[in-house]
Amino acid sequence: MSIWLTYAGMAAVTYAARAIPLLLLRNDPPPWLALWLKYVPPAVFTALIVPAVVTQMGDYGRVLQLGPAVGAAVVGALVAWRTANAIVTVGVGMVAFWLIRLVVG
Amino acid sequence: MSRWATIRQGFLATLVVWPGVAPFGMVYAVSALSAGLSFWETLGMSLIVFAGAAQFTAVGMFGSDAHPFSIIATTAIINARHLLLAASTASYIRKSPTWLRALVAFQLTDETYAVGVQHFNQHGGNAWFQLGSNLSLYVVWATSTIIGSLLGALIPNPAALGLDLIFPLTFIAFTVPMLRDRVNLVVALLATIVAVVTALVLPGGWYVLTAGILASAVGAWLAQRQQLVQKELINENS
Repeated sequence: MSIWLTYAGMAAVTYAARAIPLLLLRNDPPPWLALWLKYVPPAVFTALIVPAVVTQMGDYGRVLQLGPAVGAAVVGALVAWRTANAIVTVGVGMVAFWLIRLVVG
Repeated sequence: MSRWATIRQGFLATLVVWPGVAPFGMVYAVSALSAGLSFWETLGMSLIVFAGAAQFTAVGMFGSDAHPFSIIATTAIINARHLLLAASTASYIRKSPTWLRALVAFQLTDETYAVGVQHFNQHGGNAWFQLGSNLSLYVVWATSTIIGSLLGALIPNPAALGLDLIFPLTFIAFTVPMLRDRVNLVVALLATIVAVVTALVLPGGWYVLTAGILASAVGAWLAQRQQLVQKELINENS
């Protein structure tokens, strides 16, 4: 039974992080906060991308790892710049990754 | 547009992230089963917790008999970044009723946040769209958990195939078109530096929070300064 209680705890802390800002920020935010939140998407998106491309989990936390993923990400960025299409970006990026890995070994 | 049409629109707009999510739902299931969880416990975590990175971590901790409190605390640390995603989403959908925002909060994830923001920036805010997007990801996460449980060991390791690259590539497709002006470019460059440094120094998902907060604050400061300069120019000319 304890595993379901653990789930309840995990769900509670996760829900709190998702719900508290959504429920509290009701009124028009002050201009400084509105401007701040406007730049959260590019900042968060970039933070989700770059460490996933240039680092890897080692035995003692993340370590820098500049492999084929970096080349694939650059190709993906160029495709995204030209097409703004997620499927094409992912498709071309993955092919680039496999090709680079094949060549570099 | 009616509610149902908007929910449907959000649901369909989220199909683009399915290919990136499904392999990992399947692998999550395989690793959960191999860590000793039952089918229902495996599916239960996907339905109740619904947070990919935290679920993978929890599976590892269940496998090593970690104390429930340490599993919950680790989950809180990994998911702290959702504070920022939720604050950002709130700025788009704050006019929607409280119960609807409470419902949207249950399933807000990195992927659906990205789909929502893209839509809101172009077409304005609507919580029903976000709900549809969230439901879409919930469906693919639950379904891939079930398929992974059934197929078991037949699933090759997606990381070995490089499929973990689908996630950043999807986000590249969302982000690059956003970087049209200098302020957004500076924000992205700064977020790159802060995120990588934090990821190398701190465990867990703190790097999303540090980069998300710092880089966006600098972006707001730059934008504000630009506005002031423009106002001064207008005043001088008039």
